[in-house]
Amino acid sequence: MKIRQMAAAAASLTLVLGLAACGGGSGDNKAAAGDRPNQMYTWVSNQSDREQWETFIAGVKESGDSEFNITLDGPSFQEYWTLVKTRMAASDAPCIITTQAARAQELGSLLAPLDDLAKEAGLDLSQYNEAMMQGLTVGGTVRAIPYDAEPMLLFYNKEMFEAAGLTAPGADYSREQFLSDAKALTKDGKFGFAVSSDIGYPPLAISFADGIVPTKDGELTLTDEALVKDIQWTMDLVKEGVAAAPNPGDTDEVGRQAFMAGNVAMFIDGPWFYSTYQDGSDFEVGIAAPPSTSGQPGGMIQGSGFGVADSCPDKAAAFANIVKMTTPEVVAYVGQHRGTVPSIASALSGWSEGKPEADVKVVEALLESGQPLVTTPQWNQVVTQFSQYSSDGYRGNKTAEEIMTQISQAIG
Amino acid sequence: MERTGKPGYNQRLLALIHLTPGMAGFFIFIVVPLIASLVISLYNWPLYGEREFVGIQHYVSLLTGQDPVFYTVLRNTAIFAIGYTLANLILCTALAVWLHSLPDWGPFFRILLFIPVVTPMVANALIWRLMLQDNGLVNTLLGAVGIQGPSWLGDGKWALASLIVMSLWQGIGYNIVVLAAGLNGINPSVLEAARIDGTNAWNRFWKVTFPMLSPSLFFASVMTVIGGFKVFTQPYMLTKGGPGDSTNTIVLYLYRAGFSYDRLGFASSMAWILFVIIMLFTALQFVGQKKWVNYDA
Repeated sequence: MKIRQMAAAAASLTLVLGLAACGGGSGDNKAAAGDRPNQMYTWVSNQSDREQWETFIAGVKESGDSEFNITLDGPSFQEYWTLVKTRMAASDAPCIITTQAARAQELGSLLAPLDDLAKEAGLDLSQYNEAMMQGLTVGGTVRAIPYDAEPMLLFYNKEMFEAAGLTAPGADYSREQFLSDAKALTKDGKFGFAVSSDIGYPPLAISFADGIVPTKDGELTLTDEALVKDIQWTMDLVKEGVAAAPNPGDTDEVGRQAFMAGNVAMFIDGPWFYSTYQDGSDFEVGIAAPPSTSGQPGGMIQGSGFGVADSCPDKAAAFANIVKMTTPEVVAYVGQHRGTVPSIASALSGWSEGKPEADVKVVEALLESGQPLVTTPQWNQVVTQFSQYSSDGYRGNKTAEEIMTQISQAIG
Repeated sequence: MERTGKPGYNQRLLALIHLTPGMAGFFIFIVVPLIASLVISLYNWPLYGEREFVGIQHYVSLLTGQDPVFYTVLRNTAIFAIGYTLANLILCTALAVWLHSLPDWGPFFRILLFIPVVTPMVANALIWRLMLQDNGLVNTLLGAVGIQGPSWLGDGKWALASLIVMSLWQGIGYNIVVLAAGLNGINPSVLEAARIDGTNAWNRFWKVTFPMLSPSLFFASVMTVIGGFKVFTQPYMLTKGGPGDSTNTIVLYLYRAGFSYDRLGFASSMAWILFVIIMLFTALQFVGQKKWVNYDA
């Protein structure tokens, strides 16, 4: 009996110690609380992500602050947008967080206004890409400092264009010419273009080329006649026979892989894939502006920035770190080493170094004409539902108007 | 010597100490989240920020049809759960009985069919997604025999059926093992006696095997229906709930509501409705089993 009692007591003790060990982390966290301005919560689940953030740290060190260091923590990009909200509710949350401009409205309540901090630090906010600054402004105040400004690009297979005897597109590319090229390139089981069920790849990029955006004055304009007409035009590319209809849930990755395999001649994607396409394709890849009705370039600017958590006890210290990571030298350094298009025009040389002049001209033209993808807190719902419903549109079972109305009604 | 009377203080203490770890786990991981979810369902509860008490508004919105999608996802989930369970049980019973009659190869095929059960659902779903593409393996094979296959995932008429077929492939191995255990428990002399009495295989199955297998079938049916109502990974990985809402299910819808649309209260109320539906279905099965499950053997 005594042995059993002792065994039970030992088991209980083990449980108690186990629970104590589980709770032990909070003590450590409290100890680290003073270091919160030097901690960043971001998407950092793979080696590529980690290398990107470490390049910023290396850039600051390179520019003279050899002691600079930031601790990185966070989940995958996909999980980040949910987990950042729960992480920021904790008392030991990191002070620096990242956000895409397109998600800034959604994370607005987590991010502290930076205008006064910028003023105190003497940071000239006008040096950053205007479109990105608009995208990172929530409720009239700046919530993050952009480190990149990336216009969506039309990547094309130069060899397929040459084989078809077509003129390579550039910064001025009209829809009429695009459709004509896509038709000429669609043959032998290969398509001229690829679409996906994602709203950005390519419907919005094409709408932006005509200057049409999905929000106005902070409200969604999903049923706006011009936007619906543009989305219908994109969906009709399947009816025109120049693109394959996507299945629901086919992400942009399907089109990306088809393009890299040489099965698709043109694909709209972000410049952050520039190196991937150049290095991973067996053919020469060129870039052009997404086609517009007039033929004039119109960019859809995407990008991300560093913000200070609203819960941060020492916002000035966190902001000082952000300032160090977003100087022209550092964003140029990151552009050079990671291929991101810098958020500061004078730093574009970092990105353009070693790239064809024609490609640099396209990016410059799109940056100049670009508009930010400004969204609302419900944007994730728009993206999710479009990916669910759009395959019916591409297959001609529903019109763009029906789909956009349905999404608009669901959001309420 | 046999103990009599009430257990003493020491014995009660000992029992409590022994029960504590298990009960603590049950309380912390089941009871508390269950109650918390019920409370959350009465609020507009974002992942971060202010919450607002709304009472039973979410339940009213869902049950009165104010939410335009809920009854569609409910119907999809019911079709999936019932269709999958029926197909699963018929297929598993047929395969289990057949494999039982193969003493040499039966165990090999049971292991073969069980492999998808222990492989990750996400990986399986991704492979099926590739196979079911418009120009994927399935349609290529159909094309080779002169049949033009439909768009399995892109056509609303076929998408849910595709999910059921993929789920069957993934899940039948488990029930085959459950039913094999039931079949092994049947005394061979009973079947031999039926054979001597002149019954054919069909009659032997319905008059002897089925009644003696019914407890295993009942267990399999309860577990499969519960699993069917909770279906998530298949639509999430294969179709994202589309095209339209044709493969949107309750768990997928509530997952998105909670973790993509930041509506934890709304998602929790849906979880509670699902909980009640599963409970009612299971209760119905327990009531109905009295008519067909035979425990005498």
